[in-house]
This record gives sequence, C-alpha cells and structure tokens, in this order.
Amino acid sequence: MKEFMMIFVGADYADLGLSPEELQNRMGKWFAWGNKMEEAGILRGGNALNPQIRRIVGKNRTVTDLTSTEAKEIIGGYYLVVAKDFDAVQEIAQDFPDYDLDGTVEIREVTVFEDH
Amino acid sequence: MESKLIDHLFRYHSGKMVSVLTRIFGLSHLETIEDAVQDTFVKASVAWRQQQPENPEAWLTKAAKNRVLDIFRKLKTEKNLLPNLQQSRDFIAVNELFLDTEIEDAQLRMIFTACHPNLDPRDRISFALKTVSGFSTKEIASALLTKEETVKKRLFRARKVIQKGDIKFHIPQGKALPQRLESVMEVLYLIFNEGFHSNTQETLIRKELCGEAMRLCKMLLKNELTRTSAVYALFALMCFHSARLEAKTNADNEILDLKNQDRSLWHFPLIQLGNTMMNKAVLDAEYSCYHYEAAIAAEHLRASHFDETNWTKILSWYERLYEMQPTPIHILTMAVVCLQNSDSTKAKHYLDLLQPTDLAQRSYLYYGTVSDYYLSIDKPQEAIKNLDLALKKVTNSSEKEYLQKKRIVLVSKSN
Repeated sequence: MKEFMMIFVGADYADLGLSPEELQNRMGKWFAWGNKMEEAGILRGGNALNPQIRRIVGKNRTVTDLTSTEAKEIIGGYYLVVAKDFDAVQEIAQDFPDYDLDGTVEIREVTVFEDH
Repeated sequence: MESKLIDHLFRYHSGKMVSVLTRIFGLSHLETIEDAVQDTFVKASVAWRQQQPENPEAWLTKAAKNRVLDIFRKLKTEKNLLPNLQQSRDFIAVNELFLDTEIEDAQLRMIFTACHPNLDPRDRISFALKTVSGFSTKEIASALLTKEETVKKRLFRARKVIQKGDIKFHIPQGKALPQRLESVMEVLYLIFNEGFHSNTQETLIRKELCGEAMRLCKMLLKNELTRTSAVYALFALMCFHSARLEAKTNADNEILDLKNQDRSLWHFPLIQLGNTMMNKAVLDAEYSCYHYEAAIAAEHLRASHFDETNWTKILSWYERLYEMQPTPIHILTMAVVCLQNSDSTKAKHYLDLLQPTDLAQRSYLYYGTVSDYYLSIDKPQEAIKNLDLALKKVTNSSEKEYLQKKRIVLVSKSN
C-alpha cells in the first residue's frame, strides 16, 4: 500500500454565490465522503485551507497577498489516503462533491525515501 | 459519525440571523448584514466537513453573535454612528436578542418590513423569500419562474426603498396593524400559490415554497398580536391544499386536475390539522376571503369521489367570496361550478356578465369555459369555435397541450 494525496483545486465557495441550502447540501456530501473513507480505514489525514494567499516568488522573494477572487483557482484542501495505486485513488475520488462547480482533484503519490 | 443537521438548517438560520442582526444594527445596514451571514455559512460548510459541532444551531448562533462585533468594527471604520456596544449593559441586551422568542420576534418584524406599503407588491415576495426565508436569487428565480436578472432588480428596488430610512423595523401597532397584516397574509398566500399552482417541473421547489409559506404563517399564529381568525383560516387553507400536493402530479410529473387525482394519496393528517385550524378560525363571526377559500377547499376534500362533490355548496361559498372580492375570475369559476352541477342556464348567466378582456392574459380560460358551456347545451360546432379562440390566446405549453387534446376529442365526437 502507498500513500497518496488528493489535492482539491477550484473556486472558493464564497465567490460562487451558493445559497445556504446549497452550502448545507454540499457540506453533507463532504461529510459523507469523509465518513466513508474513515470507515474503510484508508484516511490518513486532511485539511481544508482558508482562502487567503500570501505568495513569495523568485530571487527577490517578491511578496504578494492574493484573495481567492484574484487567484480564480485555489487549493481548497487535501486528503491523505492509503491505496494500492492511482486507479484505486481515482475510484475514491469519484465522491468528490464539487465536480459540478468545475472543481479538480489532483492525485499525487507521496514520495518515500528508502534507506540504502 | 452521523450527521446532526436538520433539513434546511442553514436556510432557516439565515433568516433568523439576518433578522436579529437587523434588529441590532438597523435596516440601513441590511446588505452588510446579509453578506456577513452568508460568510458564516461558507465558513461552516468548510469547517464542518470532517466534524460537525455537538450542537450545530448553537454554533451558528454563536457565529452570528461574533458577527455582531465584526460588523460593528466594519461600520465603525466607515464612520457610521452606532450605539456603543462596548458598554457591558448593551452587551447583555444583545445577548438577550438571541433568545428563541426574541429571534422569532425579529423574524416577524422582517416579514412585516417586507410587506411595507412603500415596497412594490411584486418586489415584496422576492424580498421576503430572500431575507426571511434565506433563498438565493437563483432559487427565487426558479421558484417564481422568472429570470434571475428580474429577481435581482426586484431585490435592488426593495433594498433601495428600505435604505431610504423611513421604514421602521417593527410590527406596526394600532390601526396600522390590521392593514399591514392583510398584506403579509397576501404575500404568504401568493408564495404558497406559486408553489401549489405553478407548472414548473421541479416538484422540490414547489414543495419548499408551500412549506415556507406555512412555516411563516405558523409564526404569525404563535404571536398574540398577529394571531387572528383570518390567519387561522389562511393556515387552514394551506393545510387543505397541501394535503393534495402529492396527488397533483402523476408518475410522469404531469399535472392532474381534481377529477383525475387519486384521492387515496391525500394526506389525512394535514386535512385534520386544517379542520382544527378552521374550527379556531370560525370562532370569530367576521369572515375573511381566506375563510371562504378554505371552506371551498374543504368541500372538495369532503368528497371521496369527484362525482360526489357538492357543487351547490361550493357555489354558495363562491358567491360569498365574490361579494368580498368582486373579481372576474370568481365569476368565471362560478360558471365552471354551475357547469359541473349541470346547470347550464345559471352558467350562461355568469358568462354573460363577463367580457374575454376582463381576464386579461387568462382570456383562454374564458373561451375554454364558453366552449364547455356550448358542449353542455349540445352545440359542438360553437364549442370547437371557442376552443380555437382559447388556443389562440393560451401561452403556457402544458395548458395548450391540455386544450389541444380536448379539441381532438371534440372534433372526433362531432364527426
């Protein structure tokens, strides 16, 4: 088994004008998905990220503060799961609730350094 | 872990928070308040993904209280004059405004504000659905079968009137109360009707509108000032209609008229509740139009088959309703009732009182009824002629389909 990270990219909820009802429904879907992974014993961690961004770039270490609206797409959060391979994680990612909001799930394998 | 959230918790709470915060900061800050409340839900929807709080409602209320300070800071930097909330005495007062009874009071104030005479009647419904009921512009648009842009314009207009500042955030007292209560009932009645009669395919939205109107109506009944016999009658009417909601459409989501509904699907507990409410409504000798409408709805429910409907009784209720509300549509309905009762002469009497133009864009209903009349006195050619006139005037596609089917049957019979 290997560790994978699912990284969620998309617009911030606050910028999409979702109604209270829609927000509650979406939250329910996230909640159910988290539960499902937990019950399957594959969840190793995860967090949601606040939308404020401070970016430090290049040799001059140029600093910019961005809002989610300016950035358009931001990383909204991540989950760490254990699975056999990419295909297995892709299966898990089917329950991601925000595809209809043009959300993206990026799957990355966690690098393991082996002692030689 | 199980979800602890009740259905529509966010939506309900939105109306509560906006109302309470408006009571604290005043109507002139409504937009800031709405944004702040919306922000709370965005935060909750992310924060509660993995773990929900032990008591979600308390969490949301606490968030709203914290918002008080945030809004206060924001407004202060905008150099607005505001009460000094830092004083502990005022803080206690603010805490008390978040008690359940006070929240309900604030919500009633919001409903009465939405129905202020300065607001355009058409804007009242959109504004009430937004601020009191927590619907988004998109949801309002799909519920009212209009464009999102139109709803936005209505909300903009309503807010502009309200922000002019001469509207008080209160339940009017004395002579002003009955009149305002009248327009509150009208708005609830219209919201309910949008849900009940609308031809939208989305059953969910329809039910939500009906449920929302009933929830708000119940709120009026809970308050001593607004608990009148007319409100009881309105609530009874909503119960009677809602009891038939499930039976109104078939499996293909097609609309079924009273004649073709499966009466075993009617929801009995709602009929009982309606009866209880009606008994309270008639304790007062003075009847409102809602009394008569409820009586008519109850009469329909009393018949276990369409053929057993007591049309004579229904006609007498309509006659009283017409005395109170002399509108052409009631005359037309009375003609329809007479035709159901096989009384063509009386039907003709009512139809003669009308001009097609009296019904404005619903003139197809007039032609449709005239067609039925000619059919009842065995003049099929005249019936077809009027059906064609109806088809020329009808715009709604499902109504059109209904009339076309009728025409096909008529033509094949008369040949």
